[in-house]
Amino acid sequence: MLTLLPQAIIDGLLLGGIYLTVSIGFSLAYGVLHIIDFAVGEWIMLGAFLGLYLTAWTGWDAMFFLPAVFAVFAVVGWFTQPLIQRVTSGAKGRPVLMALVFTFGLALTFRGSAQTVFGIFTHSLPTELAAGSWYWELGPFMVTIPVVRLAGLLYALAITVGLTYLLKHTDLGLAIRAVAQHKDAAGLMGVNIRRTNSVVYSLYVGISAMTGVFIGAIISLNAAMGPDLSLFAFFVVVLAGMGYLPGVPWASFLLGLIQSFFLIFFNPGWTLLAVFTVLFLILLISPTGLFRKGV
Amino acid sequence: MPDTVWKKRVVVAGLTAFLLAFPLLVRDAFLLRLFTEALMWVGLAITWDLIAGYIGYLNFGHGVFFGFGAYATTIFFTKVNLPFWPSLAVGGGVAALAALVIGWPVLRLRGAYFAIATWAFGRAIMQLALVLDVTGGPDGLRLPPFLNPHFFAYVMLALVGATYVVLWVLLERAPFGLKLKAIREDESGSLAIGLNPAKLKLQAFILSAVPAGLIGGVYAYWITFIDPSSVFGDLVTDQAVVMAVFGGLGTLIGPAIGAVFFLTFKTYFWAYLSDFQVLYLIILGVAIAACVVFLPDGIWGAVTRRQEGRRALRKGLSLNQGEVVQPPQPPAGTSTRTPVRHKGGEEG
Amino acid sequence: MAEPILRLREVSKAFGGLKAVNHVSFDVSEGEIVGLIGPNGAGKTTVFNLISGYNPPTEGSISFKGQEINRRKPYELAAMGIGRTFQIVKPFAGLSVLDNVTVASYLRYPKQRDARRKAREVLEFLGMGDRAEMPAAGLTLSGRKRLEIGKALALEPKLILLDEVVAGLNPTEADQTVQLILSIRDSGVTTLIVEHIMRVIMGISHRVVVLNYGSLIAQGAPEEVARDPQVIEAYLGEAK
Repeated sequence: MLTLLPQAIIDGLLLGGIYLTVSIGFSLAYGVLHIIDFAVGEWIMLGAFLGLYLTAWTGWDAMFFLPAVFAVFAVVGWFTQPLIQRVTSGAKGRPVLMALVFTFGLALTFRGSAQTVFGIFTHSLPTELAAGSWYWELGPFMVTIPVVRLAGLLYALAITVGLTYLLKHTDLGLAIRAVAQHKDAAGLMGVNIRRTNSVVYSLYVGISAMTGVFIGAIISLNAAMGPDLSLFAFFVVVLAGMGYLPGVPWASFLLGLIQSFFLIFFNPGWTLLAVFTVLFLILLISPTGLFRKGV
Repeated sequence: MPDTVWKKRVVVAGLTAFLLAFPLLVRDAFLLRLFTEALMWVGLAITWDLIAGYIGYLNFGHGVFFGFGAYATTIFFTKVNLPFWPSLAVGGGVAALAALVIGWPVLRLRGAYFAIATWAFGRAIMQLALVLDVTGGPDGLRLPPFLNPHFFAYVMLALVGATYVVLWVLLERAPFGLKLKAIREDESGSLAIGLNPAKLKLQAFILSAVPAGLIGGVYAYWITFIDPSSVFGDLVTDQAVVMAVFGGLGTLIGPAIGAVFFLTFKTYFWAYLSDFQVLYLIILGVAIAACVVFLPDGIWGAVTRRQEGRRALRKGLSLNQGEVVQPPQPPAGTSTRTPVRHKGGEEG
Repeated sequence: MAEPILRLREVSKAFGGLKAVNHVSFDVSEGEIVGLIGPNGAGKTTVFNLISGYNPPTEGSISFKGQEINRRKPYELAAMGIGRTFQIVKPFAGLSVLDNVTVASYLRYPKQRDARRKAREVLEFLGMGDRAEMPAAGLTLSGRKRLEIGKALALEPKLILLDEVVAGLNPTEADQTVQLILSIRDSGVTTLIVEHIMRVIMGISHRVVVLNYGSLIAQGAPEEVARDPQVIEAYLGEAK
């Protein structure tokens, strides 16, 4: 049993990488736009399907289409954001509540449409990366690392580094952080809030969709995969502290480890319940996240 | 005043007579099935509204109680070989127990966190049901067929009718209802006037779970087959939510109307569109979004001009873990650690 | 003189690094009106929160009618006889005025009919009988503040904590509220009142307790406190 421990840990970290990308955009969207996007899992799903169709259409490797998927969905996000804006700034009520329910409806709509158009079957995204895996042996310990999962982790780190750079070292990033902290003051200082919001939402949707391609390749894709992914995103973001980006990597890897441990050592059917229990304990003990920095 | 009271009584009497007579006079199996299913959804919608509309807690895992009832009843009926009625009672008991166990901790969460946590719980239980042997895994469980549409129509009528009456008395006539509403309006402030929100919420939670569980048990026997996705799936909760919101939260009539309306719509829609399930999902999605934005008080709320629906939604989806007691603002010049609390006055 | 109805001994409350209330001790005798004053941020509302069970003290002890109440929940204290209002009024906005007071009446009158009757009596006492069926959200500020007091009164408290019930009202409304407070005193209820409007506090209080930066700096009859140099200094520089 113990010999599987390194494998479990490595698997956990690799999975964590995926959850990292799923959640980082989501956390950013929350921090800046103050919306909980219930449709995050659906964006991922749609990105995966776009990748699938592009691959089927051209025969090229799925990974090749990452930028294309990003671009397409960034544009979609750009045009969706004003709609959300309109819903949330109506005279009727509270922005976050409106956004939450609106995106919940959006998620159901996407899911239903996807099931109608794409059917209910599960697919896999074909990519060269999926073909190989690395294998190590060290005494009694054996570790297998599928290349595609490693690629996923590297992708996650690249995105994280890229976003961090964007936020800390560019003017756009400064604008984003300003809007996240104090919208009105930022506006008074000359930041174009509308444009900043659109940029953030586009980035978030684009990244999520791109992540879908990886998930489709590493795991699988089907039209109903959204909710569980949304659940994981919530878990990570709540654990990290809503809107607190530095917490996201920690929470992601924790989630990955929980899942991989259940997969290897226990019955995987209990995974979600374990995730729920951890989520729930955190909300009880420290609703602002592990680091108490959430909003 | 007496005039409206008489009108109400006439309507209620007429409706009761209609409901009692319907299964007696109608022979058509399809209509009986529609009748039974309509009642089932009325029951699910009003029990969801109990904690959503009256207290402002949106339980996105409400279907879990339905599922627990369905599975418990089935397991005791088919594997333990208890007769149906005791099995049904067990189903209700299991649902109550689940509500007690999960409610005590989970009701401490507020607003959107409660919604997310209950939703997560629902999915977790569904996943569990897919792997456990006792639940038959993904293949589900079968019950001995008892093909008697009249029986089920009456049972569902009795069950949901009794639920409606009990809830009506407790919520609209007894102190219980006002206390719950006070908690919805201002949970923190309600402490000061002698209310114990934790206890009241838990009581309401269990009260919402038992009928749902019993309905699940009846459903199982009626449909003769249950599996995780049909009784623990999102669709059970989602439909109850839409029906209640559309009908009007914070009342009993609202969700009842919403349930009948939606079910009728779904049935006839089903008849005309083959790929109904997935399109139905789209319609649910649009309906929920549109309702919250344009019709937060629901149809009944709009008609009676009650605003309880929107207040419940606002509270149920807020991100404010809000306490009335906030650490005081330090006088200028004192350096302190910034207390981590909610930003400004806006929600979210 | 009999045991004080409320006694604070060396009560402190710290939030993280900030000591909001610092070793405060004072007594309130039955039937008194005691004013609690001090500049903004002095800790007055925190003291109220401590007494009414919304926050436990970090140090010290609070006793009511001879019993220690440090860790009691607000609803337990309501049952024991402490009622309070909130600085930012919190009506049950979605309910009618009558319903608001009815919910509070359930404490002493568990039956619906009795509670309703009590609620109507309270509303009459407040002069709000005509607004019973109105949604609480539709009340003016003065109405809300009055309703707030009404909810506390429905508990039939022995001690009532009034938090800035006069602030924000015009002079006529303010005077009416003062009359109300005096009527409450006449009915035998002990009152602890926080208020910024000096003429009100000084005019109606038997004694005044002054807080500054969480510490008690003076207490005594209004005239004495008004002349106390520390009190004057605390308020100097405050735009009044």
